[in-house]
Amino acid sequence: MQIYLPIAEISINIFLLLGLGAGVGFLSGIFGVGGGFLMTPLLIFIGIPPAVAVSTQANQVIASSASGALTHWRRQAIDIKMGLLLLIGGSLGSVLGVFLFTWLRTLGQIDLFVSLAYVALLSIIGGLMLVESVNALRKKFLGKGDDKANPRRKRRLIDRLPFKVRFARSGLYISVIPPLFMGFSVGALAAMLGIGGGFIMLPAMIYILRMPANVVVGTSLFQILFVTALTTYLQAAQNQTVDIVLALTLIVGGVIGAQFGARLGQRLPAEELRTGLALLVLGVGVKLAWDLGSEPSDMFEIIQTGVK
Amino acid sequence: MMRALLLTSLLILISTLNSALAAPPDELEREADIVAALSQTTVEIRSNFAGADLILFGAIAGFQDGDDVAVVVRGPASDLRVMRKERSFGIWINRAPVRFEEVSGYYAVASTRPLKDMGTFSALRRNQIGRDHVRLNAPETQRRETRFGVRDVLVSDLGSEIVDYREALGRIKGRAGLYVETPGGVTILEGGLFQARLRLPPATPVGDYVADVYLFRAGQPIASRQIYLDVRKAGLERAIYDHAHNHPHLYGLICVLLAVFAGWAAAEIFRRR
Repeated sequence: MQIYLPIAEISINIFLLLGLGAGVGFLSGIFGVGGGFLMTPLLIFIGIPPAVAVSTQANQVIASSASGALTHWRRQAIDIKMGLLLLIGGSLGSVLGVFLFTWLRTLGQIDLFVSLAYVALLSIIGGLMLVESVNALRKKFLGKGDDKANPRRKRRLIDRLPFKVRFARSGLYISVIPPLFMGFSVGALAAMLGIGGGFIMLPAMIYILRMPANVVVGTSLFQILFVTALTTYLQAAQNQTVDIVLALTLIVGGVIGAQFGARLGQRLPAEELRTGLALLVLGVGVKLAWDLGSEPSDMFEIIQTGVK
Repeated sequence: MMRALLLTSLLILISTLNSALAAPPDELEREADIVAALSQTTVEIRSNFAGADLILFGAIAGFQDGDDVAVVVRGPASDLRVMRKERSFGIWINRAPVRFEEVSGYYAVASTRPLKDMGTFSALRRNQIGRDHVRLNAPETQRRETRFGVRDVLVSDLGSEIVDYREALGRIKGRAGLYVETPGGVTILEGGLFQARLRLPPATPVGDYVADVYLFRAGQPIASRQIYLDVRKAGLERAIYDHAHNHPHLYGLICVLLAVFAGWAAAEIFRRR
């Protein structure tokens, strides 16, 4: 059964869309990530114009992060103060991102930029995660329990920055500059790539800000919710590229898939799960890198310029 | 039902044609005349739109054996750019954009026989019949010069490369079913009745379409007839599209609220279980 997408202006099998939503939702439920980094390339692959895919993906992430953030809110696992700081940076970043996106689109280089950014991000993050989780696995199986991690924290560059503020919920006393900067960069990337940015934000919060693990996911979802809401609004207002029919179809599939994924995820051990996520992230990165370097099937490409 | 309808409409067409031809006997005698109609003059794109099949049917007065019919359908025109992929630092990058002006978003030719067998090159080129004969204007790359004493010669900066760009345009649009050529797509029934099948793909652009019917004799078009087709979004699809373009700020807010609501609903539903 075909469904016509009024903004993307093509008709696509509705079960394909629901299946994509459920599949990506399933994976994101298992691993606890938004899955935008998987969904956007897939949408482009099935023929959705990249501009529409990116903007609509942001709209879908709102739904998944809203339901996640709500659950964490009830458990009081959100550092609101940190979330707001990340959000201020993120909002500025998202405004810049949407403008950059429009500019690159008129140059005809948006696809290249999106692919390059994905390759760089996915291989760096995936690689770091893999190293980290393989180390954790080795410790687990070799039983090297005696090496205490960071017996005394070293004084780092971050600790020397001015404008320090106390974050009660996270038990931190750090400068406001790193959260603002992190929020800004992730916000800009999120707007240009149509992702929530959770898979960048989570490691950054843990390794750079050293936030405790129990508030990291909730706080990240909290800021993703607002940044993607802003991105969706800006994309809709400036580029008219948000397809609500596509977004709602993906949301329905995603919600169902995520529930099954989350149930399976609870039964799997954490280290294996993280190794799995690292491999998945790396796999998508390698695939995109391969596509960039391999001979294109058509040496020409049409870029629609006239606004209909 | 469809067939009966078609036949009655054809009969009506023929009778009007006959009377039209019979009326002015003294006037400049025309070799042939065409009447034609589409099975639907408006194609509405709704949520279940998966492309549409249209039948263009008609009659030719003065049809002779050996005559050929070609039907050309053009969709709404827009500007676009074609870029060539080039390899640098190991990756393929879009380079060398060429802007084409007023390119038809849909172009279909159906004919009784392969085009080159029924019309001369110049006749096909003049009427833009056939994928190779579509006029593609790239204003930035061409200028008018005087060459060998001939004024206003159109010269392309790209030289022979422009051919590759033109071919690419037809090829890429062809993959989406938007540029099609179907020799044998027109069937002559009998006594000058003909019908052509047209396929509008799922990616059909909305707008005004023009269908031209040509009658070819001895390599030249001797009669033609133009009819119109309107492809438009209808129902909810139209409402959403219009809303997104006329009230982008409100539309953006609604998208955000709907998604937040969906997320909240999902959290509630699955919490109870």
